[in-house]
Amino acid sequence: MTDDETLRYVQASAVAVGLPLEATQAKRVAAHLQRTSVLADLLDAFPLGDAEELAEIYCPAPYRAGVA
Amino acid sequence: MSMHSTLLQTARAVASGEQSAAEALEASIARIEATDARVNAFTGTRFEAARLQAQRVDAMRTRGEPLGALAGVPFAVKNLFDIAEEVTLAGSKVNRANPPATTDAVLIQRLQAAGAILVGSLNMDEYAYGFTTENTHYGPTHNPHKLGHIVGGSSGGSGAAVAAGQVPLTLGSDTNGSIRVPASLCGVWGIKPTFGRLSRRGTYPFVDSLDHLGAFADDLGGLALTYDAMQGSDPLDPGCFATTVQPVSRSLAKGVDGLRVGLLGGWFEEMASDAARGAVASAGAVLGANSTVVWPDAAQARAAAFIISASEGGALHLQRLRMQAADFEPLSVDRFIAGALQPAAWYLRAQRFRRAYRDKVNALFRDWDVLLAPATPVAAPAIGTEWLEINGQRFPCRPSMGLLTQPVSFAGCPVVTAPLWPDGTDGLPIGVQVIAAPWREDLALRAGWSLAQSGVAQVRESAL
Repeated sequence: MTDDETLRYVQASAVAVGLPLEATQAKRVAAHLQRTSVLADLLDAFPLGDAEELAEIYCPAPYRAGVA
Repeated sequence: MSMHSTLLQTARAVASGEQSAAEALEASIARIEATDARVNAFTGTRFEAARLQAQRVDAMRTRGEPLGALAGVPFAVKNLFDIAEEVTLAGSKVNRANPPATTDAVLIQRLQAAGAILVGSLNMDEYAYGFTTENTHYGPTHNPHKLGHIVGGSSGGSGAAVAAGQVPLTLGSDTNGSIRVPASLCGVWGIKPTFGRLSRRGTYPFVDSLDHLGAFADDLGGLALTYDAMQGSDPLDPGCFATTVQPVSRSLAKGVDGLRVGLLGGWFEEMASDAARGAVASAGAVLGANSTVVWPDAAQARAAAFIISASEGGALHLQRLRMQAADFEPLSVDRFIAGALQPAAWYLRAQRFRRAYRDKVNALFRDWDVLLAPATPVAAPAIGTEWLEINGQRFPCRPSMGLLTQPVSFAGCPVVTAPLWPDGTDGLPIGVQVIAAPWREDLALRAGWSLAQSGVAQVRESAL
């Protein structure tokens, strides 16, 4: 993303999640997101097969019959 | 060594009756009152409650009842730990409006059950998002070894309180380095156990996927004693995976006998100053480490940890950011917002990478028992420093203090941070990460014990 594209993304996504942002703060946020996008590119280039699952974040509780 | 009694010395003196818990507590209170105006480690104290608790310990001794392993040891906690009847600030202004906690955090309960005496709560970066403890709401915490310099963060008050000799023991949290960075910059011992080892119940979260709790201490033996006292399963904490207690204190004296110790190269050398590399070389010489080992995919792991932290942290605070962004820490609010807006695809790829990465890191420990790396790229910079230069490259100071810790915690490995004092730092310390395979805290602590016994790692008295 270019700087302008990042700023437009920040402004649009802030509206989408209901986060009010004034213009100068939107630029600062965009600068942070721009730096993070470089890290995201690094991960994007890392070879991951389709079978690579997420690290675990959910575990169903043990089922006990008769207990809600 | 210190004119103050260390954790282990205090525990032994109270156990033997050489010193009462009340005497140990009053010495700690006097030190806090004499130094904290300059250090700013504490955001809250509870001296009267502590005095009552010390009286109970001394009464137990008088009645001949058995005392816990930490009886009479004063301690303090990062202010994201719940303390009953107090508001859990988590370094923020926003949380002041929250109701007080109804019970103590689980780890506080366990230390108190072992006889330790809680004296107060400690400064931190707001909501744990920072590595410097330059907290705008509560003021920066100052390094006891050089007052104009940072203490590291986010558990900066926890590192500083031990370094200043205010208390021999503190608790903190570590998501990406928040125990290891302040332990390094303050020159004290720290332990970040395996991810999921200790209960996090009763603490304010930052990043559920990465948050760990742990401790700081002024001696290695005391740190091990504390770690043993904190262990235990917790079925009520979905982030606690420990099912058994695995005590370490009795195995410390085995040291590194029979252990294969390596030095981490690659990323961990490239992102370290000469002084930081010197600290690792000194530790390696004591532990018989001759080989350089390459940690897999460290740059990608650091990137993934950064992205997951930003996403989860931003999402956690989204409702408050909508309504109260102006009350957030100016140094981190824009990063929180940027995290809340990150594309889901970035976060999900980071979580998929983490699973593959875990297997690669675990494979490394087929050949090695303990690995060494610097905990921070440099010694403590001056408060307000914006940029760092490391080996000719320019980095933003605040996020870069975690460059060497993030890849390790992302794999969940336990780490003991050992305090070393290399040349070229103007007398400031740099910590060495002593890293073991997941669930092998015993090996990291045994290597730490060897470093302590040799004298190469030590806590030094501050000039306060």
